[in-house]
Amino acid sequence: MAPTLPSGDQASDQDNWDNGRLAHKRQLLTEIVLRNRLTALVVGGDTTCRVLEQLLLRSYGVQTQGVDNGRDAIALIASGVKFNLIIIDMILSVLNGLEATRQIRDMGVHCKMLGVTACSGESERQAFLAAGVDVFIEKPLDPEHLVPILRELDGQ
Amino acid sequence: MERNPMRRQLASLRKSLFDQGYLDEQFMELEQLQDDANPNFVEEVVTLYYRDSARLILNLDHALERRPLDFSKLDGLMHQFKGSSSSIGAKKVKAESTLFREYCKYGNAEGCMRTFQQLKKEYATLRKKLETYFQLARQIGPMESANRPK
Repeated sequence: MAPTLPSGDQASDQDNWDNGRLAHKRQLLTEIVLRNRLTALVVGGDTTCRVLEQLLLRSYGVQTQGVDNGRDAIALIASGVKFNLIIIDMILSVLNGLEATRQIRDMGVHCKMLGVTACSGESERQAFLAAGVDVFIEKPLDPEHLVPILRELDGQ
Repeated sequence: MERNPMRRQLASLRKSLFDQGYLDEQFMELEQLQDDANPNFVEEVVTLYYRDSARLILNLDHALERRPLDFSKLDGLMHQFKGSSSSIGAKKVKAESTLFREYCKYGNAEGCMRTFQQLKKEYATLRKKLETYFQLARQIGPMESANRPK
């Protein structure tokens, strides 16, 4: 596997450590092959995060839609669109992540919901879990958290 | 042995961004998503970040001018900003965001204002460094394509 840094540089211990970790993460990134067609909804108020989360999901072959507020998420789900996974930010405009999660669950949606937030304080974690998410993680969403979830949804 | 001096310079610049604490491993995650189909992906995401977060910086500036300070509002804005910054691996910016939120929690106005000034400095410094990095990367990119064996 080609190293990320050019081979001409004298590799320091730190470089080797970085390359090792990167190789491990690349392995996580590439080792999943989805057998089923999975769909995901990303509900994120921050454009950069939402775009990245969608791209990460698409890199695994997950068909992904994105909305930037809770109200649009509710409307999309109410229209009958089904998702295997919903990734929802705590901070949203119009309808916040906690309330949107409660409403989605009240609509009878039982799919996997992953709550994301910039700060992983215990009170925030408890609040999000109580609202109805299955998993709570601190941003940014990364393969180490995502891949096990995708494997589970794919029945692997 | 790396024969291309520009490539060496790019690698050295990249390494310094991590060694000096400007970036964390999330930036490497972005690099993982870059490929031949999306050769400028990382630069595009960083550009998006700076465009998107400019609005938050402005809102924070305005909120910090009000008296008395609305710490709940400030905290909410910084929460968003922190999330965005962490998504590109902006390590120092993220650290200042965390500190700011701590000051909000304790209602420390002076701490908030001082930290915000430092945050803006780190934000601007990172932007300059990444602009230099991407400019060099773009110069190397076409050279690499031209020299790639057919």
